[in-house]
Amino acid sequence: MSVSCSGIGVSNGIAIGEAHLLQRGRPDIVPRFIETDQISDEVDRFRQAVAGARRQLKAIRDKIAQNTRSDIVAFIDTHLLMLTDEALVEAPISTIREKQYAAEWALQVQRDALVRVFDEMEDDYLRTRKDDVEHVVDQIQKNLTLVDEDDLHHLEGKIIVAQDLTPADTILMRHQGVAAFVTEYGGPMSHTAILARSLGIPAVVGVHEATHNIQDTENLIVDGHQGIVIINAEDATLSQYLEKKDADLQHAESLRRLIDQPAQTIDGHTVQLLANIELPEDIETTPNLKANGVGLYRTEFLYMNRNDVPNEEEHFRAYRQVVNGLGGIPVTIRTLDLGADKQIDGCNDSDTPVCNPALGLRAIRLCLKEPQLFLPQLRAILRASAYGPIRIMIPMLSTLHEVKELRQMVEDVMYSLKRDGIAFDADIPIGGMIEIPAAALAAESFARELDFLSIGTNDLIQYTLAIDRVDDEVNYLFDPLHPSVLRLIQMVIDAGRNNNIPVSMCGEMAGDPRYIPLLLGMGLQEFSMQPGALLEAKHIFRNINAGELAERVTPLMQQLDTPETAEKLLQISALTS
Amino acid sequence: MITKEIEIINKLGLHARAAAKLVTTAGQFSSDILLSNSSQEANGKSIMGVVMLAASQGTTLTLSANGADEQEAFETITALINDKFGEGE
Repeated sequence: MSVSCSGIGVSNGIAIGEAHLLQRGRPDIVPRFIETDQISDEVDRFRQAVAGARRQLKAIRDKIAQNTRSDIVAFIDTHLLMLTDEALVEAPISTIREKQYAAEWALQVQRDALVRVFDEMEDDYLRTRKDDVEHVVDQIQKNLTLVDEDDLHHLEGKIIVAQDLTPADTILMRHQGVAAFVTEYGGPMSHTAILARSLGIPAVVGVHEATHNIQDTENLIVDGHQGIVIINAEDATLSQYLEKKDADLQHAESLRRLIDQPAQTIDGHTVQLLANIELPEDIETTPNLKANGVGLYRTEFLYMNRNDVPNEEEHFRAYRQVVNGLGGIPVTIRTLDLGADKQIDGCNDSDTPVCNPALGLRAIRLCLKEPQLFLPQLRAILRASAYGPIRIMIPMLSTLHEVKELRQMVEDVMYSLKRDGIAFDADIPIGGMIEIPAAALAAESFARELDFLSIGTNDLIQYTLAIDRVDDEVNYLFDPLHPSVLRLIQMVIDAGRNNNIPVSMCGEMAGDPRYIPLLLGMGLQEFSMQPGALLEAKHIFRNINAGELAERVTPLMQQLDTPETAEKLLQISALTS
Repeated sequence: MITKEIEIINKLGLHARAAAKLVTTAGQFSSDILLSNSSQEANGKSIMGVVMLAASQGTTLTLSANGADEQEAFETITALINDKFGEGE
């Protein structure tokens, strides 16, 4: 029977394929038999995984022992005891020996048996303690599957269905040829949605109960335009979607023909098209698409999936690879922007829980407070600047004082590089991201102190409208056309023009076809977006008239708060849909 | 061998951490320790076994100790249960 579920389409396109259910934080266990001559190796592998889990737990306990509440330590001790328990350790080994199950499966079978006993317990509290079993089993499973790269290969062409994906999950999957993402949580501005768009694959988020309603290997159609997931579609629906998919492909083909064409409007006005990139690997696509540069290189990924912080050499190697790969087009490196929805793995040993991370110690605030975290990055950026054009971009500026402190640090690093005889670009442009309303309101003063400005609309909108962009209960309020948001954006564009410095926009809004004509009309000259959106944007620019749009938009900006203006803004949005 | 019935009196029952304490204590003795309810029997040195007894507050278990240090083992474990595993309630 065909079932249709709806969510929020956050990345366009249509995918047709098999579902692959991903248990969050839990590797997928597939029943698998082993050969007779593999039994002793398999038992060994299992024992290693258990020993590994024990080591990891001990390491955690050693780290937290001093000032942690004793019941937390007791929890870990309990789990350690379970890792030596026959029921968990010996039973799977017997299963491996007697039934020739692979270790993961043998463990899973035992886990299911134990969990079933818990589920039958009458006492509410005792019943929930199956969490302990699951936690310990997860720890072993992680060790078992850690190096099994074959597991990732079978994701090709699959539609990943999960409660939620972490940025780390999506990174691991990005080169596996996944066809689409379907998740229960998340909104259009969640980090996962942004990543799906950068992968150029369809994604529908906010599909409630997706992991319950969709079975593994079921056939799915994911419609990223409409935000619809169809389970076991009937033939008529399927052929309809195959046609749509075909049309999409043809459109993509026609866009490819634009690669060598200039990003020029009908009336001959040229704009700068820049790419937002995440990983050094992204640099392959950017020059191929003939972008004018990289408007945002996110460096956080250097910090993820690890327990320590990267050193100067690691930073340097990544940046040099980017600069070399881009073949002379400038790259804007955003300095460390951790916090909020991007947590750093290597420095989360703080005891104080942060209630409001989006407003907390993150980005430039963290960098200025923890120079030992920041200086290696700064030094590496400057070293890499000897290899090609680099711009430094500071995220989350709120006061001019931060610019002054940052400039002082850059000077100090330059001085020490000079002393060490290391080359760098002494005129490296330093710019700031304008993403806090206070900074937008003070854009004139920032424009006087910086070499360029870049508008980060994702955070600017979140902060201006006071809505958490990853909270799907409130993200219906996320409105780039809100008069206050537009007013702030206009202030930044004007400040750049008045002070003769470039202004770009690197938020999602810049690559969204609905807003491109409006932004052009507002005077924006540089648009930075995920590489997958570049050609569509170019297609739009080549079909609109900059002069006409400016004439239409300028008067609207003077009277933003009227319903007539709202109507006219929507008409401009509709130009491209 | 010593065998006696004992009631679990702590509020949360014989949950994982309480069981961990019991198993750790039992492990200090050479005697075999057995715990049983009406339907099953568990090795007092196996945490999963003890947890699987699902002994909530008010459950009566049979505790038995058998071996060279059975007297001391029995008394120590009984004291731990009656002390509510140090949880205070």
